[in-house]
Amino acid sequence: MANDKEDITRRKFLREGLWGACLTGVGTAAGLTVARNNRDNTVWQIDPYKCIGCGNCATYCVLERSAVKCVQAYAICGYCDLCTGYLVPEPKALDTGAENELCPTGAIKRTYVEDPYYEYTIDETLCNGCGKCVKGCLAFGNGSLFLQVRHDRCKNCNECSIAAACPSRAYTRVPAGQPYLLKRVDLAK
Amino acid sequence: MTQKTEQDSTREMNPRYQAARTTAIVGAVFLALFTVLLVINLIGSGVIGPRRENKVAAMKVQIQKEPTNQELLSEIRQLDLKIRRDRTWRLDFARKAAFMLLGSVLLLTVAGKLARDMTREPPRPQRVMERGEMQIREAKQARRAVAGGLGILALGMLLLGLTRWVDFGRAEDTGPAYASMEEKREQWHRFRGPGGAGISAYTNIPTQWDGKKGEGILWKAKVPLPGKNSPVLWKDRVFLSGADPNARQVYCFDARSGRLLWKGDVPVTPPREGKFEIMEDTGYAASTLATDGRRVCAIFPTGDVAAFDFTGRRLWHKSLGIPDSAYGYASSLETYEKLVLIQYDQGDGKDGKSRFYALDGVSGQIAWEAKRPLPGSWTSPIVIDVAGRPQLITVANPLVVSYNPANGTELWRAECVAGDMAPSAIYAGDLVLAIEPYSKLVAVKPTGQGDVTKTHVAWKMEDGAPDICSPVSDGTYVYLLGSEGLLMCCNVADGKKVYEQELKADFRASPSIVGDKLYLLDLKGTMHIARVGPEYKELGKCELGEECYASPAFADGRIYIRGAENLYCIGQAP
Amino acid sequence: MTRFARILTFTMALLVPCLSAVGELRFPPPEFESGYQFPQAAPLPTARSALYEYLDSAVLVAALLLASYLILRRRSRRAIFGLMILTLLYFGFWRDGCICPIGAIQNVTLTAFDSSYAIPITAGLFFMVPLVFTLFWGRVFCGAVCPLGAIQDAVLIRPVKVPRWLESGLRLMAYTYLGAAVLFAATGSAFIICRYDPFVAFFRLSGNWNILILGASLLLIGLFVGRPYCRFLCPYGVMLRHLSRLSRRRVTITPDECIKCRLCEDACPFGAIREPTEDWPEGEYKIAKRRLALFLVLLPVLVAAGGWAGYSLKERLARVHPRVRTAERMYLEESGQITETTNVSNAFRATGQASEVLYKDAAEIRHRLAVGGALLGAFVGFVVGGKLVALSVRRRRAEYEADPAGCFACGRCYTYCPKEHERRKKSREAAAGYR
Repeated sequence: MANDKEDITRRKFLREGLWGACLTGVGTAAGLTVARNNRDNTVWQIDPYKCIGCGNCATYCVLERSAVKCVQAYAICGYCDLCTGYLVPEPKALDTGAENELCPTGAIKRTYVEDPYYEYTIDETLCNGCGKCVKGCLAFGNGSLFLQVRHDRCKNCNECSIAAACPSRAYTRVPAGQPYLLKRVDLAK
Repeated sequence: MTQKTEQDSTREMNPRYQAARTTAIVGAVFLALFTVLLVINLIGSGVIGPRRENKVAAMKVQIQKEPTNQELLSEIRQLDLKIRRDRTWRLDFARKAAFMLLGSVLLLTVAGKLARDMTREPPRPQRVMERGEMQIREAKQARRAVAGGLGILALGMLLLGLTRWVDFGRAEDTGPAYASMEEKREQWHRFRGPGGAGISAYTNIPTQWDGKKGEGILWKAKVPLPGKNSPVLWKDRVFLSGADPNARQVYCFDARSGRLLWKGDVPVTPPREGKFEIMEDTGYAASTLATDGRRVCAIFPTGDVAAFDFTGRRLWHKSLGIPDSAYGYASSLETYEKLVLIQYDQGDGKDGKSRFYALDGVSGQIAWEAKRPLPGSWTSPIVIDVAGRPQLITVANPLVVSYNPANGTELWRAECVAGDMAPSAIYAGDLVLAIEPYSKLVAVKPTGQGDVTKTHVAWKMEDGAPDICSPVSDGTYVYLLGSEGLLMCCNVADGKKVYEQELKADFRASPSIVGDKLYLLDLKGTMHIARVGPEYKELGKCELGEECYASPAFADGRIYIRGAENLYCIGQAP
Repeated sequence: MTRFARILTFTMALLVPCLSAVGELRFPPPEFESGYQFPQAAPLPTARSALYEYLDSAVLVAALLLASYLILRRRSRRAIFGLMILTLLYFGFWRDGCICPIGAIQNVTLTAFDSSYAIPITAGLFFMVPLVFTLFWGRVFCGAVCPLGAIQDAVLIRPVKVPRWLESGLRLMAYTYLGAAVLFAATGSAFIICRYDPFVAFFRLSGNWNILILGASLLLIGLFVGRPYCRFLCPYGVMLRHLSRLSRRRVTITPDECIKCRLCEDACPFGAIREPTEDWPEGEYKIAKRRLALFLVLLPVLVAAGGWAGYSLKERLARVHPRVRTAERMYLEESGQITETTNVSNAFRATGQASEVLYKDAAEIRHRLAVGGALLGAFVGFVVGGKLVALSVRRRRAEYEADPAGCFACGRCYTYCPKEHERRKKSREAAAGYR
């Protein structure tokens, strides 16, 4: 019937119109993203000057073994015999005994250099990113031990679970070309 | 279940179907297997691992007490190694098992789907009457469901709305974060009470007791570790600290019964080399604590500062670095609003090491710090109210410096003292009275600005002065007590000496005033009570029976005295 | 004390080491005499090359093209299933389910509201490309390309029919989820779609317990209820539903004319097959007209009520933002209601910022969430009201068809149709005839 035909064409017209509007809408979103587009991809990284060594990096990472590992800034390290990042607060002796070590996985290696200096290196395969050494080094030492996100492990989630849980908001997005924020002697805190 | 038709049987004989079904069953079996393995692994890492970790932690605590137990040591090391090895192994195993689990799930899914695909039943649509009515009914039910959904959403929003939120627009809330100056005047919140004046707010203080016989002593409590710091009082709590070469502790006693409510440990920063040593005269716990009404804070000569809440929980701990102090750091703490004020003088004055720190009482962070071009001192700072404004008065060699306690800006300074400064300043008769040990008593008007050496020094009394005890004054007379027993009384108005009295006793505790009486506690523990006035009149002597270095604290009808080993509460039973 | 004692202790004191002032290095870096050099540490690992991001977008487009072909032309369930498994393996297990178009909604929203946020082009493409494909060919994305849909589709073994009314009610959750996700992304509070993504923990083979349990529960439900996340929770699906209604070409059970044999009625595990409509009894039309008028009047009321409710919840909504949570905690501590501190409040104090700045920021965020919350509430009100209106309008269908909004383009219904079988036989014969 004529009425139905009219209805059908009117409805069809409406539909076509809406279709066009939706396509335009999607196109606008396209335009927006192109306009504000980031040429360089970004990845997550910790600002070591904001980090307080709370320990969330080890527990909040979605991976079983956290993508966050500790790094040693040798130029800032004091090479102390009594390293407060290596030893527990009241060590029985200043040696490498398990009862004296702060690191729960034994990832920090202590080697004698010369009197009275000792070198502390981190074995990354053992480090779990718990930040106990970072906290100890920050509180009583030079702060040469700090945490960094490793990009061979990090999944670069859209929303980083650790970033959401970081109490000092130390996580930021950095360009993928320069994905690390390292501590420098001239910026030593 | 209908009977198997011929079609079904032929389908099942199909070799492709059988292959698919077998694969699916294999997948299911592996799925079950790996699930079980993962669960076992989980039990290992979730139960066995933590149990072992707790055990090793307990053993580590134990080894502190038995440092020479080699057996325990090797046990710790072995268990620690085992824990670490297991942890790594378990993580690897979990990952591999998860992969295999995934693989078996995939296998099961794909094979299962294929198998099912081959044995699908033909559709058997049900008989349905009156489709039109059914559609109307469905629409009605759908509308009801949507309305129900709306109801649930509304309920959810209501529940969310019932949760509390914090309005930070409002200034007042349930109580301020610290006690006001008025509240502090009724307590004994720091060394020598409010303003470091040594004046009791209460006059109903006992005048007679005998420690040896136990008369007039309400209770006596043993203090676990020794120290020369004086008791600090807040409402129904008495705070002390004690330390020895190995431990630093803060104690809280119940003011009514003397029961030790809690003791808090303060962690110690070990020195870079060697062991920390201090003069026996000063001791490991020389500085008196201070409270702001919500927290109590303590400092030790190693430079470790810690704050506890009144329930004994340690709020924070900070290390200011071991001070370079000739006799050992001994300045007591003061509080202003919620800041903890620390006079951290050290060195020789030219090395720029001395500081004044104000720490935020809640977090321990440095709120402000001021450099002081002064050598080490052993005086304690005081916060006083001058014409409605607070001033923080400090005394070191050679300056009396006044700061604004809220932000550390220097208000005025006067160069008028010298020597190893131990007696603290007081504020009486609108004058800041400071002592130069062995030499003079100086009065400075605190109303100046900048360098007031030439303009605001009111008078100097140069007939000698004490070396340790801080002065006490009721506004008219100021009393100076030498450590060898010489009591001097001077006018506050002009500094002229009024009288001198030899007390034939040694004193370390600073003198106090209660109403119109002087309370002087000597080294042997005897309290000399005398009248405040232009001539010396002894009213009585009360023995305690124990050596006393610390100054007494006064509360409503009570005196709290710390002896070498015990804390005494002197008063009548209520 | 005696002069002698003082001299003695002073000399002893010279032996006690002192530390440099706070604010500089506590322990000065050592000067090595033995010629020690700092160890050469291995170079820090670089991030994933940008090339891979473009590869992902290319795979997405290719998969969508292939899916459209398989769903609308080839019409083979097996092929669709195969492609589905492949995309599950690639986007799901290989790329760990991140980034996905569902999460990309948040990235695009944030770009619109925060001028300092630069969106990676992959995120933009992942958001737009499936929408464009849906406008042309229906929900081909859902059928064979989305890894979350794939994992649910894969575990479906014995579909149970969900009554239509329940579906309508449950779908409100998806709208609310979309609205909330957009709100929290726009205000920079959180990416809740990412946070509560149930299946990403399975893709990564690791995750925290809560998400694993949520995902496992959904999959267990998904054994019997087809695609529960897709139907009742997926925020992207909400947009796909509406775009799919307008699509140029869509899934049909058979391209030929429907003979209404009813054999496809129980074919769809997702309840997307609609039967032809029948005329209502006489009196029903008048009642329906009145009902429709009532709901049309109710619609603005619901919108207003929703807006008001959303506005009044602004403080609770604001708590999702970490700055507001910090401000609340700091206020409780500073006003003395709580004596202990947390890592968060200590970390804030360490920044040295005045708490007034914190409170000002938090108040600003609350204000933004007041506006946003009102909009969210209004949106939810509009959706509810709109749904009620839609359910009061009479539909007219002449044959069995796949619901344009709800059809996931899985291809299961094709083999249920006898006309489809006829067509295939004919085309096979024609192909055989050519040889």
